Amino acid sequence: MIIAAAGTNAGPYVVRTVADRAAAALPVSPLLSVFYMALSLAAIGGLVAVVGMFLVYLERKIAGHFQCRLGPMRVGPHGILQTFADTLKLLFKEDTVPRKADRAMHLLAPFLSLTATVLVLGVVPYSPSLQIVDLNIGVLYVTAISGLGVMGILLGGWSSYNKWSLLGAMRAGAQIISYEISATLALLVVVLLSGTMSLSGIVQSQASGWWIWRAPVVGLVSFIIYLIASTAEVNRTPFDIPEGESELTGGYHTEYSGLRFAFFFLSEFINMFIVSALAATLFLGGWMPLRIGSWETFNAVMGLVPPAVWFLLKTSAILFLFMWVRWTFPRLRVDQLMRLEWKILLPIGFANLVLASLVVLWNLYFFPGA
Amino acid sequence: MGLFEPDEIKRERRTLAGREISVAVTPPLGERSLLAAPAGLLKGMGVTMNYLSHPSKIVTRQYPENRATLKFPPRYRAMLQLVYEDSGYHRCTGCRICERACPNASIKIISRRGASGKLDIDRYIWRMDSCTFCNACVQACPFDALEMTHQFENAVYDRRLLIFTLNRYAGPPASVLEKEPDPQKREAMMEPRDRYGGPVPMSGQPIPDVRPLGPPAPSEADPAPQAQTERGQS
Repeated sequence: MIIAAAGTNAGPYVVRTVADRAAAALPVSPLLSVFYMALSLAAIGGLVAVVGMFLVYLERKIAGHFQCRLGPMRVGPHGILQTFADTLKLLFKEDTVPRKADRAMHLLAPFLSLTATVLVLGVVPYSPSLQIVDLNIGVLYVTAISGLGVMGILLGGWSSYNKWSLLGAMRAGAQIISYEISATLALLVVVLLSGTMSLSGIVQSQASGWWIWRAPVVGLVSFIIYLIASTAEVNRTPFDIPEGESELTGGYHTEYSGLRFAFFFLSEFINMFIVSALAATLFLGGWMPLRIGSWETFNAVMGLVPPAVWFLLKTSAILFLFMWVRWTFPRLRVDQLMRLEWKILLPIGFANLVLASLVVLWNLYFFPGA
Repeated sequence: MGLFEPDEIKRERRTLAGREISVAVTPPLGERSLLAAPAGLLKGMGVTMNYLSHPSKIVTRQYPENRATLKFPPRYRAMLQLVYEDSGYHRCTGCRICERACPNASIKIISRRGASGKLDIDRYIWRMDSCTFCNACVQACPFDALEMTHQFENAVYDRRLLIFTLNRYAGPPASVLEKEPDPQKREAMMEPRDRYGGPVPMSGQPIPDVRPLGPPAPSEADPAPQAQTERGQS
């Protein structure tokens, strides 16, 4: 099935997902269909490895420079091979399970966490031709699956038989479930504005302007709410109380080592990538170039940059913002964290949703006709 | 108060337990300007971005490839040592102010009744193993007789080697010695001291494979030329 871009302003972009290609190839040659599926599996696996390693290196390097340090410098020029060395170390490290731990659950938890993360990668629209599958309930799917990641964290903390792990897991549960409400409210605003839950559909709805500025005020407000709430969801400073090292040593993954620790670690960084990719997709137009209404020349110039590059640029910008915030802000207390969500973000989120419905009702966008 | 201004901290005088004291008062939560907190956060982000965009501000040094050209910040603190005048005499009078200033008793001064008939130092013992390099001794010294050097490569395999006798000779400080015109008498007032000699763990018990540092034993050299050579080295 080929989804034609809606309207003339959507430009030359035709969304064709890998799943569509596989479905089209199935009656002709089942082998090609299987090849497509294998290709997408390999792509996701590669993405997880590459993005994970790259982000870990980037984070350490940027963190260093934010703090007047150098970051990794020893392995390879400017330490670029440091993450490979660390990965090798984690692969060969002994995988220990505490004696009194619930063994089966302890071993299962990291897989749950990573599975939830990897499942989301399949629906992220990287470019019109690079998306594994485009679900018509994309936003709902993303919210539901990333909610599953909490299960891994809770299970890991619970089964470790360690007070730090348990405390960290309980904090993570409380925090992620609380902040998911705000994040979902922010996502709902975009669903309301674009009239679709399909992620590719949302990107195409931003052909004449990104939602962050095309919907006056509500777009920006929901973008900021989503940024704050998703920072909390991926357990990053200033909301890193589930693994606050000065209070809980390591939080929910205190008792994990070797490969299983790597899984938790990896899923954390991939989650950050996913959250950034979603923020870019929903609020900054995803792979859509910067297009402003009917400024044809401007749009044409912007259109020269390939969509995948646009996606990458926007996602990296938000990733950088996350790192910047992490290495600047101090950690919140548990009560401050809950107050911020339930007393500040949630009322603003609801008010914003009502305002957004008014914007949609009275067609108050910039470039309403587009 | 502007919208983005940080909250003003007022100084007030309050009576507390019958005494009037000066206190700093921040406005209560309800009266604080709404955007002060976000403005403060943004200011912090500006600071970190400034560090990121100015690599010249990096303080980390690469080591050990460049140890020959390694530059230290002026107030870098490592190995403690006594300050020696050009004449090779130290300034320590043995007043023990540094010993009392030391928060973890890393300094011990043993004094003696010297040849001049006055009290002077026998051994200035510094325990690097318990020293935190807090600089309190250097600051406390009224004669500027102590200094922190930049020598930081002090790892050893035996902790007994971390207890030093800092003075190269037992005897009066430069202020006394320089008033004595007769070199014979000056020499008589001084007695060489070994870095690991005296009432410290290594005293009398040689450690295998460890060559004692510092000046040779008293019987092997006389103090005056020794002071000369050490001046040449430093």
